[in-house]
Amino acid sequence: MTLQQMFDPAAVAVVGASATEGKIGYEAMANAVEFDGPVYPVNPSGEGRLFGEAFVDSVTDIEDDVDLALCCVPGAATPEVIEECGAAGIGAAVIYAGGFAEAGEEGERLQEAVVAAADRHDVSLLGPNTSGFVVPERDLLCSFASGAEKLPAGNTAVIAQSGGVAHALAFQSRRQGRGVSAMVGLGNRANVGFTETIDYFDGDDRTDAIVLHVEGTDDGRGLLEACRASETPVVAYKVGQSDVGAFAESHTGALTGDHELYTAGFAQYGVPTVDATDDLLDAAAALADSPAPAGPNVGVVTAQAGPGIIISDRIQRGGGRLPELSSETQQRVDEILTGVTYTGNPVDTGRPMPAFGDVVTAVAEDDGVDIVLVYELYEQAMGFPVEALSGLAERVGKPILFSTDGIEEDMADDLSALADAGVPVFETPERAADAAAVLARYAGMAGPAAGQEVVADD
Amino acid sequence: MTDDPIAAARADDRHTLTEAEGKRLLAGAGIETPPFAVCETAEEAVEAAEEIGYPVVLKVSSPSVTHKSEWGGGAGVTVGVTSAEGVRTAVERIFETATEQDIDADVLVEAAMDVDAGTEVIVGGLRDPSFGPVVLTGLGGVFTEVFEDTSHRIAPIDHAEARAAIEELQAAELLAGYRGSEPADIEALAEVVATVGDLVTDNPIAELDVNPVLVSADGAIALDALVVLDSDSAVDREGGTAAAEVDR
Repeated sequence: MTLQQMFDPAAVAVVGASATEGKIGYEAMANAVEFDGPVYPVNPSGEGRLFGEAFVDSVTDIEDDVDLALCCVPGAATPEVIEECGAAGIGAAVIYAGGFAEAGEEGERLQEAVVAAADRHDVSLLGPNTSGFVVPERDLLCSFASGAEKLPAGNTAVIAQSGGVAHALAFQSRRQGRGVSAMVGLGNRANVGFTETIDYFDGDDRTDAIVLHVEGTDDGRGLLEACRASETPVVAYKVGQSDVGAFAESHTGALTGDHELYTAGFAQYGVPTVDATDDLLDAAAALADSPAPAGPNVGVVTAQAGPGIIISDRIQRGGGRLPELSSETQQRVDEILTGVTYTGNPVDTGRPMPAFGDVVTAVAEDDGVDIVLVYELYEQAMGFPVEALSGLAERVGKPILFSTDGIEEDMADDLSALADAGVPVFETPERAADAAAVLARYAGMAGPAAGQEVVADD
Repeated sequence: MTDDPIAAARADDRHTLTEAEGKRLLAGAGIETPPFAVCETAEEAVEAAEEIGYPVVLKVSSPSVTHKSEWGGGAGVTVGVTSAEGVRTAVERIFETATEQDIDADVLVEAAMDVDAGTEVIVGGLRDPSFGPVVLTGLGGVFTEVFEDTSHRIAPIDHAEARAAIEELQAAELLAGYRGSEPADIEALAEVVATVGDLVTDNPIAELDVNPVLVSADGAIALDALVVLDSDSAVDREGGTAAAEVDR
């Protein structure tokens, strides 16, 4: 099974398309027509045209190579629709309807019927019980949620067990000015789950980091092995540390497993874990936009001591280390800036100054530093050391994270210059420190994980 | 008695191994256990005790008894026996209680270990429904439930990963030596952890509790073993090499 037809279709059919605004068949169609390929409305009771395209009675009536069907029909009608999709050669379908495995025995039987139909024809199913997926760069908006069209393209693939969390993450990534390469809500995972999607997005050129929202899966080992096999870095947010079992079961038809096993397993298989949606996106930004860190040693450069202390504290609590800088680096910093407040680690410059970028460069070039984190409050007269930061991460082969605060309008130009230079920017000292700590933990895991690849093939 | 304790239990249609079978399984995989013998009469037990050397521990050995220390009002386990007379008394108590309960029982005679000479650690293996074989390491003894100081790994794991699991424990500081006590043999403990992971991976085992493992400067020794077999007999028996190699 490949998910090419799902996430990179030539043409799309909307089954159960409706001309009535507010109905899921209308909203899904309204979003789907943004796609730059053909989109066909399918509904035997539909008349005339919808968004310029004539209704057809069945997917089997479409004279085009449709890859993907968006099923906006009630649960009970789904097995037949999937059967027809299979007959029409459609290889992928999104099932929005609920009332399947998450809803008791009868729902389970219905889901089995859908999977059986899909298996007969080799159809990949996203859902049921999902709000779908979005690939912003292709304007592939296979979600009925409003606002999907405003999600910017980025380089993080969001794979969430919950469609709701998938959307929440995507909207957050927009607010953070980042965007996603794809946003996927897995729902009940009838035959497309974590392993298949991780595998697909690992091979996706637009994706530089994969984030997972996990409630629980009965194939925990498969999930871990897919993560370890992925060359693209993966970060996970496992929900359910306290007992949310019954609620989660009613949600996606899966029991939440032993949280400790997930956390230990992810670490063992090279996947750092976080405890919040925004942490997940921050970690992804740090991993996606940076060279892989070689170790857990963070060099901090701060223009203000207070945020620097918050950062220093938090990095260490999160698993990072703050090594002493080499005497050469300290000397270099002293020469750049005599009377600098503190030249250990962090280097505290007191306030931003024209040579701030040189200080950052000196710390980045220290052999004992694996990751660099820079904090400065924005000063209009000074701006950001964009020139010094541009290309620095690639040159020294280390992640360089940047964190700041100030008046958004004043900073806008400098921030977009940093974004253009590929520097990950974080809004608070805590978020920057946490992202650096994830990089540090990731560095600690990458080694052993790589050495165990033989086991993954068992 | 067959060389393969798992096959022996299966042949009797049992899901639980006796302690002796469990220890044979561990020993066959290279985990150190105290010298022991399973005896059918008091005279055999005395002979075994003489050979092993006093003090010895006497335990009821029966597939019908899982919780030995709670069995028969304390008849199930007698520690610190230092004479032939002591052995006879303890063995007779075991046989009498077994007769009262109408069960078959033997006696396990085992070298007594000085538990104060080391730190008690739990090593457990489990077949998790979603992750398959996993291995757990934790602080043992009376503190297990109070501190819940455990670390988990998905099995199988290598020696380095087992070491990392041990070093995650808060109890790692106890093992490393404190107030001048000698550091425990963490390498030996790591070997036990990795081996338990292998045993659960390679055999149809639902649960394997080695509780406690006594870890000291001299090594790591398994003082008790509870093995529950997977009720799903479909688990690959051909993978059961570790069990097949058991031979003391």
